[in-house]
Amino acid sequence: MIAVLYGVLILTGVIIGVTGLSDIVLYNIVDERLRIVKQQLAIKIKDPEQLNRAVEELKQEFIRAYDLDKPWYARIPRVIYQIMILDLGTSRSTLSFSGSNKVADIILERLPNTVLMVTTAVLISSLVGLVVGLWSASKVGSFLDRSTSLISAISYSLPTWWFGMVVILIFAYELRLFPSGGMTTPGLTTTDPITRFLDLLWHLFLPVLTLFVALVGSWIYVTRSIVISITKEDFIVVGRAKGLPERVIRNRYLLRNSAPPILTNMVLGLAGSITGAILTEAIFNWPGMGSLYYNAILSADINMILALTYIYTLVYVIARFILEILYVVLDPRVRY
Amino acid sequence: MSLLGVKNLKIYYFTLKGVVRAVDDVSFNVREGEVLGIAGESGSGKSTLGYGLMRLVPPPGRIVGGNIVVSGKDITSMDEGTLRREVRWKVISMIFQGALNALNPVYTIGKQLVEPIIFHENVGLKEAYERAVEMVRLVGLNEDVLRRYPHELSGGMKQRVMIAMALILRPKLVIADEPTTALDVVIQAQIMNLFKKIKKEFNQSIIFITHDLSLIAEIADNVAVMYAGKIIEYGTSDNVFNIPKHPYTQGLLKSIPRLKSKEKLSWIPGTPPDLRNPPTGCRFHPRCPYVMDVCRREEPPIKDLGGSHLVACWLY
Amino acid sequence: MRKLLRNELLSIFLSSNTSKVGITFLAIMIIASAYVVIFMPLDFGLRYWNNPTFWADYPKLVPPEWVNIFLGGKLLRHTILVAEKPTLSLEGVKQYILTYSHDSNQLPQTVVFKLNNITFTYTSIIELSVRRPDGRVINLLVIQPLTSGVSERVDLSGRLEVAVALSRFLKDEFNVSISTTEIIQRKLEFKILMGTPVASNGYVDFKTLRGNYMFNIFLRSDDPTARIGSVEVVVFGWCYGFMGTDHLGRDLSQALLYGFPVALLIGVVTSVITATIGALAGVVSGYYGGIVDEVIQRLCDILNNIPLLPLLIFFMFVIRMNEELRRTISPLAVIIIVLVVFSWAGIAIIVRSMVLSIKAQQFIEASIAVGASSIRVMFRHILPQVAPFIFAQMMFLTPSAILSEAALSLLGLSDPSIPTWGQILESAFANQAMYLGLWWWIIPPGLLIMYSAITFVFIAQGLEPIVEPRLRRV
Repeated sequence: MIAVLYGVLILTGVIIGVTGLSDIVLYNIVDERLRIVKQQLAIKIKDPEQLNRAVEELKQEFIRAYDLDKPWYARIPRVIYQIMILDLGTSRSTLSFSGSNKVADIILERLPNTVLMVTTAVLISSLVGLVVGLWSASKVGSFLDRSTSLISAISYSLPTWWFGMVVILIFAYELRLFPSGGMTTPGLTTTDPITRFLDLLWHLFLPVLTLFVALVGSWIYVTRSIVISITKEDFIVVGRAKGLPERVIRNRYLLRNSAPPILTNMVLGLAGSITGAILTEAIFNWPGMGSLYYNAILSADINMILALTYIYTLVYVIARFILEILYVVLDPRVRY
Repeated sequence: MSLLGVKNLKIYYFTLKGVVRAVDDVSFNVREGEVLGIAGESGSGKSTLGYGLMRLVPPPGRIVGGNIVVSGKDITSMDEGTLRREVRWKVISMIFQGALNALNPVYTIGKQLVEPIIFHENVGLKEAYERAVEMVRLVGLNEDVLRRYPHELSGGMKQRVMIAMALILRPKLVIADEPTTALDVVIQAQIMNLFKKIKKEFNQSIIFITHDLSLIAEIADNVAVMYAGKIIEYGTSDNVFNIPKHPYTQGLLKSIPRLKSKEKLSWIPGTPPDLRNPPTGCRFHPRCPYVMDVCRREEPPIKDLGGSHLVACWLY
Repeated sequence: MRKLLRNELLSIFLSSNTSKVGITFLAIMIIASAYVVIFMPLDFGLRYWNNPTFWADYPKLVPPEWVNIFLGGKLLRHTILVAEKPTLSLEGVKQYILTYSHDSNQLPQTVVFKLNNITFTYTSIIELSVRRPDGRVINLLVIQPLTSGVSERVDLSGRLEVAVALSRFLKDEFNVSISTTEIIQRKLEFKILMGTPVASNGYVDFKTLRGNYMFNIFLRSDDPTARIGSVEVVVFGWCYGFMGTDHLGRDLSQALLYGFPVALLIGVVTSVITATIGALAGVVSGYYGGIVDEVIQRLCDILNNIPLLPLLIFFMFVIRMNEELRRTISPLAVIIIVLVVFSWAGIAIIVRSMVLSIKAQQFIEASIAVGASSIRVMFRHILPQVAPFIFAQMMFLTPSAILSEAALSLLGLSDPSIPTWGQILESAFANQAMYLGLWWWIIPPGLLIMYSAITFVFIAQGLEPIVEPRLRRV
């Protein structure tokens, strides 16, 4: 697993290095630090020529420190290191809410917003998906059961972000029930936590609805498929033959055996949704990592793009890592 | 004392492509301490019969007629709740074919053995475990198998566990459905010895379902030969094997290779019938070397040839 | 595994409703694409779509014409009047009269006079005026073309001279004073041109004047050879076409149509290449085992753990930033390449496990014993068995490719020279279409994306019964 993470990093680093973007980034970082140093030096050294010379010297030192004087393939390790510690310099276009323009700060600020939106949506849709999937698996052949494959087909083909646009059109424009974007109402001055919370919920509703519709279809289908395939296994019959109460069969035999693949899907779904929500966030102007990414692309803010690509990959890899651990815990067959 | 009485049992599968008459009017009895072997090809309905005795026939199958009486109680009309609590595993239990998947993969053997005890009897966990240990030793396994998971055991070991599990509540009747089919010959022999031991030590009534006639010869007291959903011959092991009456039984016995015999192997031509549309009259008539006109028109009734040797054939 | 006969496969496939629907949808897509390929130019994107001047005479941001059915004809239709020859030709004056019948209460978005190819040897002037149904005449504008052979396009909105004329007209005919600046600022040109002022509560409003309007173009010249090639008056309506227009007046139905072959191309090409590479990798990996297997597996492992979208975005962005790359490779090709690179691993892994269990079967051993070469074994024996699965996977990959391209378009990272449905949505989003209620800009492209994706999903679902039993036994 760690190998994969490194593999990805190296891949990213190589590509960046090859295309020359890394130089821009590194030079940015150097310039930024120089500026700070220059300010500090200017207080001490009054003579402009001397000041310039001192700055020039420092610049050379920085260049050497950041490996900028070496050929491009030798610079790559340095880039990778920078990425890993998230010292990616400053954003050209965005400021964090607190005014800093360091990439790391900005991202850290937006991360919880994304997590809030995505996790809420995934939780609700997986719960509903689970319940409906289980129910339709127990009633194979019924109308609901046969329509699950249609529902999942629609769910899979639906571009989430487009649906977001439609939702805004209907609910915000036509019906005027919900706000058309953002996370809070600008100009809301009350400090009453309940009001603020309700305001948040009001803004959260449409994006979560969008994500829900996009996710729930495949949830239902997957849950149903897994449960049905477990139901067909021999040990279920044996369980019944043992005269065990239906409740026990359901919990110990069906659910317990369905849990590993279903949970796997949940974690994967969560990871996938975070990346998938990039566009949805942009559509709803939700101040999370997704819209950050969107704005960064529009304004060609290289540092931001680099950092965010890395973060998304990291999130994804971590999610899969958690997955592997989960699977080992739940399924004894995998343990050896 | 008749332990099990089956009368006119009919089990049909209602599929989209037609009704499959898997078990079509079958009757027989099993006494206490008796081992009944049910022999037949694949598709003869023997497995369905086994499942039917515990009312475990999977949908779209259903018992459509006849009844099953165990120790005086009519199982066919019993409600599901009572069936579960009182009959299943306590009175009748089953050893399944191909124990590869018959054990719940996420729980230890011990837990699975103890499960039926906990649910059927008012026994504490400790005592239940002790009984499990006892049973496991009885089938020739080491007691630390209780701590293992099913995937860690070999095929033979799993089958022994299944046997232990089936016996753990000391049921009156055990149905063994092709218990050795998935195993190799050496293990097969060991398992058969185990069965013989159980039969002797517990005076256990067993219904032994298999397509392998040699196994039935080893262990069964009585034999019922099934073909196309019907019992076509029934009798003591001796009678059926030494003086088979039905042409099908004769054919089956002739096709078993014998070590010392110089005869050419013979077999029964044709294939088993489609149970949705079985042949008219005697179901075996398309493949029977002695077929007569009447065989094509009417089903032969069951005739008693003396010494409780029953045959359903127009030859008699 | 019993090898199913081709007829059996086909009948199983066709038996489910979903596959029948899927095939029908696919047929429609192919027909639409064929139409586009035959009747529309290949460089439609560059030549027309990305060329705003081409759409200059189309109304902007208007819904489709058929909406009028539901609204009872409320929306003004877009009218283009053309005259090639002067209606009246006298000494020194050529008069073109274009009659326009206005029977709606709605005023046009704007009115444009187009004087094409004005030729003369010496000085000529052109006067534009309009006679209203109530008989009143407004002299709108006088033009003196400087060079021969040019065309003039006069948009009445925002034109100072026109506003002046209208202001004077108001004062002279109705004794109402509205200043020129106010006319331009409040966009009152057409209210005045085609309306009668009605005073209410000391505030002037206009009642639309219905009837026939005669647009007059006078070409005054002593030069008898002076002529205008053709004269047009375009009355910009409030609805247009089959699917409406966007902010540049572009006819959306054309771009929507053009999107069919593009989507089909992207989807099919990506999935075919991905499936091929994935299958080959899987078969080779499973068959040979050993180091080859290890290497391929490690590679797949890494690729599988990478999220598609961010890296796709990243690569597209890198390409865009780098000048040389941008000139040499078409962005569409890059999308396809990146999608392929990140998708083949999933297929390879499953194919490999299928191959492993097929390999264990005796007929493979038999073939090898008989002396069949590895390649022969792989292609004639193993491949046919995994083929249905690969085919089914191809069906699932296609919508994924189409959706990914749409997502990239929204970010502006797709190929701008080829209009796709995603790009239509991108300009909709950029122009805030959802907040303005421009449903015809938003809903059709999205529906088409869904339609094309679901086509392949249905086909894939139809293939499931063929693939499933094999999968399960494997």
